[in-house]
Amino acid sequence: MNLLTLIVLLPLAGFLLNGLLGARLGRGFVSVVGCGLPILAFLAAIRAFTQLDGAAGAALVENAYTWAVVGGFTFEVGFYLDRLSALMTLIVTGVGSLIHVYSTGYMKDDPGYARYFSYLNLFLFFMLLLVLGRSLLVCFVGWEGVGLASYLLIGFWFDDPAKAAAGKKAFITNRVGDAGFLLGMFLLYHTLGTFDFDAVNAAFQGPVPPAVSASLVGVLLFIGATGKSAQIPLHVWLPDAMAGPTPVSALIHAATMVTAGVYLVARLNGLYLQAPGASQLIAVIGVATAFFAATIALVQTDIKKVLAYSTISQLGFMFLALGVGAYGVAVFHVYTHAFFKACLFLGAGSVIHSLGGEQDVRRMGGLWRRIPVTFWTFAIATAAIAGLPPLAGFFSKDQILWYAFASEHGGSPVLWAIASFTALLTAFYMFRLLWLTFLTPSRMDHETEHHVHESPISMTGVLAVLAVLSAVGGFFHVHLFLEPIMPLPETDHALEHLELPLVVLAVVTGLVGLAAAVYVYRSGLARADRLAQRFAGVHRLLSGKYYVDELYETVLGRPLMWVSQRVFLGLGDRRLIDGSLHGLAALAKGAAGRLGRIETGNLQFYLWLTVLGAVASLAWVLGHG
Amino acid sequence: MDRTQLLLALAVSLFSLGFVGVMVRRNALVLLMCMELMLNGVILSLVTFASRSATLDGAVLVFLVFVVAAAEIAIAIPIVLLLARQRRTLDVGAWSELKG
Amino acid sequence: MSGTDLLLWFFAAASLAGGVLMLVARHPMRVALALIGSMISLAGIYAILGVHVIAVFQVLIYVGAVMVFMVYVIMLLDVRDPSFLQRYGRAVVPAVALAALLAGALGAAAGGGHTVTATELDALQPGRTPASFGVDAFSVSFLERYWLHFEVTTVLLLAAVVAAIAVVRTGRRRDG
Repeated sequence: MNLLTLIVLLPLAGFLLNGLLGARLGRGFVSVVGCGLPILAFLAAIRAFTQLDGAAGAALVENAYTWAVVGGFTFEVGFYLDRLSALMTLIVTGVGSLIHVYSTGYMKDDPGYARYFSYLNLFLFFMLLLVLGRSLLVCFVGWEGVGLASYLLIGFWFDDPAKAAAGKKAFITNRVGDAGFLLGMFLLYHTLGTFDFDAVNAAFQGPVPPAVSASLVGVLLFIGATGKSAQIPLHVWLPDAMAGPTPVSALIHAATMVTAGVYLVARLNGLYLQAPGASQLIAVIGVATAFFAATIALVQTDIKKVLAYSTISQLGFMFLALGVGAYGVAVFHVYTHAFFKACLFLGAGSVIHSLGGEQDVRRMGGLWRRIPVTFWTFAIATAAIAGLPPLAGFFSKDQILWYAFASEHGGSPVLWAIASFTALLTAFYMFRLLWLTFLTPSRMDHETEHHVHESPISMTGVLAVLAVLSAVGGFFHVHLFLEPIMPLPETDHALEHLELPLVVLAVVTGLVGLAAAVYVYRSGLARADRLAQRFAGVHRLLSGKYYVDELYETVLGRPLMWVSQRVFLGLGDRRLIDGSLHGLAALAKGAAGRLGRIETGNLQFYLWLTVLGAVASLAWVLGHG
Repeated sequence: MDRTQLLLALAVSLFSLGFVGVMVRRNALVLLMCMELMLNGVILSLVTFASRSATLDGAVLVFLVFVVAAAEIAIAIPIVLLLARQRRTLDVGAWSELKG
Repeated sequence: MSGTDLLLWFFAAASLAGGVLMLVARHPMRVALALIGSMISLAGIYAILGVHVIAVFQVLIYVGAVMVFMVYVIMLLDVRDPSFLQRYGRAVVPAVALAALLAGALGAAAGGGHTVTATELDALQPGRTPASFGVDAFSVSFLERYWLHFEVTTVLLLAAVVAAIAVVRTGRRRDG
């Protein structure tokens, strides 16, 4: 029965094998172990999924072992499989395995091949802990672990200090969010005495509400989610994380890790249903982030950065759905997003690989004939993200927009309007990317143009699979599949007649975005540059990413550095600690110096001292005798 | 003042005077002689008490002290001589190498 | 005050004066002579106390042997060196202060107790005659009771002689 434990441990075995032996046993071994074990985990997940359906919808629970018994408290490590975690596990292991296979082609010439695969497997292990964990405690272990794996992989080429710094930034920003997560966890434990998800949800859905503010806990846990899922204000690490290898960006920063925040909120839907304040906050931040990131993506020139901001924006959509109570819909978008975003990132990787390392869109163009498979898969995924029917993105994004408009749990036309406009922008910048990379006349330099070649089958095959999934994946309506455990919110009956018109409007939005992109970028960058000059101020603001990084640096970074340098280092460490040590040494030295003056070498002085002592003893004896 | 008190006071005075001499004088031989003065003070006190006892034991002890004093001076003076020959002076200030 | 007491006071003053002269004189020879004077006064005191043997030994051994040796050496050496010009070391006042303290402490230690009158003294020493502290009594006690101490002192003296020879030899070797 320990199927769930097996699923979790298979990638761990991969990490250990590749980590310890990989460098010595060669590329073949590493590839087989590194890809094979995740594939096995995927097959095990399928088996678990079938077992689940057979059990009439009840969840599978496994207690792996007792972690600690402290005082009267027992902490177990347990795994929990219901429809939500089954779906997440399938995504993680399925898309994960595909990306592992892709990596065998992409990272073929890298000297750190074994290390790469061991880190990737480590990531899978922690991610599975996260989604399969029965309690917040196990989930948190996975949460931290994926942060670690992310750091290791972003800074994979650590010889470059900029890349290493990006890894550090990701980890530290996550840590800030984790403070909120921990506080929320502690509050829950203090009130309920348990970390288990099912118990927490039941407690909040039950007749007697627990003695803690659901909104407070909700906000605290959401702070953790903003860190992990790159929402405002902790989004700053994701664009920098593009310093890592592209398959890493695809797996961690598109398909799986960044969706952990969404998973957490969805998993605790029982709590969030009772926390209207927290839910509203989530919806607002979600839509704001979506809009904000989309505007920045309009002017990005690095192919991966566009996709990074696009990910932030799409995550914003997911949080919007969570905020209005449509938990199943958010998970639906996680599912479709995994397919098309992974396809886009891997496609970008293929482009970069073909061009021998070029990432700047301004130096691409005219690639659609040279690398057709990459082009067509990229195009399908772009259409999916833009929400064009009948591709996957259309279904999930459409549901989000509908519930943003009509949900009784916080939906409003304002949210809908901003989200729709963002969808327009999404279509625009994605098609802009497509055109600039592939369809405009070539702006490549001759060297690169010569070297352009299609990527190997290990890469293009995966792209094809993901493109197919992006196309047809939407037909599996995840939100309906999850309805037994995550009921969809009530919608305002008065607005129900607007559902179909809104769908049509959404499609039109996508097409308008496409048309606008084609208009501006059809023949290259000329028209865009003129527009940029006309709106120079706006362009500068967007190119500077709204100067958020600079703001953080000034408000947080520099004062902290100042405090560290001047107060802790200068005063605390140097003066206090070193000073006290030096002071002790100086004291000893001074005392020794002064005491040493007794040794004058003068015999008579010594005699004087001796007799002084004798007289003192005599006096004392006489006094006290 | 009775006899014993006088003699004890004298003994203490001789001892202290000898002590001052040892502390203060710079000539090595004079130093030795002041030490002899101290010793004499002690012997005086010993004799004072010996003369008041019923037996001869105190006196015998005094005699033994004389012998020891003689032996001591027999060694001390040659040592001082050698030291003086080394530094070509009798000044005790010449010997102060054990400085800290 | 009886005659012996007066004499006692006189000798006491004399030995004290000798002590003071020792501290003050510059030439070591004068210091030696002051010490000899002091020692002879002490011998007088011993005689007044009735221990004639000790008085004689004082003069014979201390003055006759020890001080003669000292005078011998003083004459041998050139005493006109820095210690001649500069009699005293650096710390005179502290030395005197400490000596005063020492005298005070010792005096306090010795002062406690009760004085013995002449009658009590007679009770302590029944039948004491001048001869009871005489040479005969001395020699007899050495042969009867203190013969071991006597022999040990001879060994001590032998050791002293050997040591003196060793010191002289070393001195000679160093001179080459």
